Amino acid sequence: MSSSTGFDYEGVLQHCAKGDRHALMQLYEQEASRLLTVVMRILKNRPLSEDVVHDAFIKIWKKADTYHQELGSARGWVYTLTRNLALNALKHTHRQVLAEPDFLLDLCDNQVLASAEQPDNMTELADDHLAQASLQTCLEHLEPERKLCVLHAYVDGYTQQEIATLIDKPLGTVKSWIKRSLNALKECLQ
Amino acid sequence: MNKKTQKTPDIDEDLAGQYVLGTLSPEERNAFELQLADSVELQKSVNQWQNHFLSITDNLAPIAAPQPLSARIERSLDELEKQPTQTEKITANTFTSFWQNLVLWRGISMACLVLAMVLGFKLQTVEPMLSEPTYIAVLVQPENKTPGWVIQTSHTNQMQLVPLGAVEIPEGKALQFWTKAEGWDAPISLGLVKKGETLNIDINKLPALTENQLFELTIEDEMGSSTGKPTGPITSIGRGISM
Repeated sequence: MSSSTGFDYEGVLQHCAKGDRHALMQLYEQEASRLLTVVMRILKNRPLSEDVVHDAFIKIWKKADTYHQELGSARGWVYTLTRNLALNALKHTHRQVLAEPDFLLDLCDNQVLASAEQPDNMTELADDHLAQASLQTCLEHLEPERKLCVLHAYVDGYTQQEIATLIDKPLGTVKSWIKRSLNALKECLQ
Repeated sequence: MNKKTQKTPDIDEDLAGQYVLGTLSPEERNAFELQLADSVELQKSVNQWQNHFLSITDNLAPIAAPQPLSARIERSLDELEKQPTQTEKITANTFTSFWQNLVLWRGISMACLVLAMVLGFKLQTVEPMLSEPTYIAVLVQPENKTPGWVIQTSHTNQMQLVPLGAVEIPEGKALQFWTKAEGWDAPISLGLVKKGETLNIDINKLPALTENQLFELTIEDEMGSSTGKPTGPITSIGRGISM
């Protein structure tokens, strides 16, 4: 799948697999800042986040040959690899668990505005423009409290236990909300 | 594709979403990753979930990645790269990316401003420095980009490494000065730095200085790195430019 941004994530990974270092630096210029943003949000620790982004690029370089077209979104592949490193690094840091419900909900609401007003701006970052727009719509169908659980997990990298404590609900409730939310999202996205 | 994933596609699908959210327990996660390694379908599903969710984090205000991070990645790649033939091909490309690196140029602009102020101050106060520098680099701390050292050369064939402030060196350790130009296989040592002293290097003993040449100081054992390559943390890093 080629990207609607004009940035060819798949091609870049294929070039990395062939040992083309320029391709990795292209990916760096395209994504390093966003990767650091995502990792920083999870770890809330700048030096550790930079370490994780460094390690992610080295791992992308080493593992690029395991990516192929059948695996779907190359950008998704890059972020899965990086977020996994960030989630692993949580063992080495103590972070503050904060609620910030307005911030998280705005993150989605703003996107509705952004995609409506600037269709060529934010959403074009995604590999599949239409699919991204529909995730947005699908999230809107979730109850705010459940949507927050999903956002805390994805955006903040909080564990279900941390979310349960944060929103003062039993762990079982949070687990069930997240599971059902994912099912609803999956159904909606199809 | 393995049989298990075909038998229970829905359950695995659910797990793919949870895996991307990061809500699986460590045990579930390990078990899922074992399955994942064997299943193209599951990997595709994971990448698709990730790509969907990315639209949320794409809305976070971006944090600029600092220039030393790309230098650090390049250094790690240097260590990984064993074949010099590949390096030759890559040199031209990485050089282009250097010119397009906005963050780097912003950093250099800021560093040059600081350098201008520092040199102005030093010219008035300290012993005469080399006249008409022909090549300079400002080395900054990777964490906060505070300028820590200035490198300059002049027509006298000497390169000076000048500290801009008090230098802290841990007991039993030394600061080792390194440089690496595009296309070199590994950095070379320019010597050990002593507290409060300006390090002078005869540039006739070095390969010609190039644009974009990397300079860095690392913390090493008192007698210098035993491997002949930087092993300790980088305390200051920067790239050289001709004046």
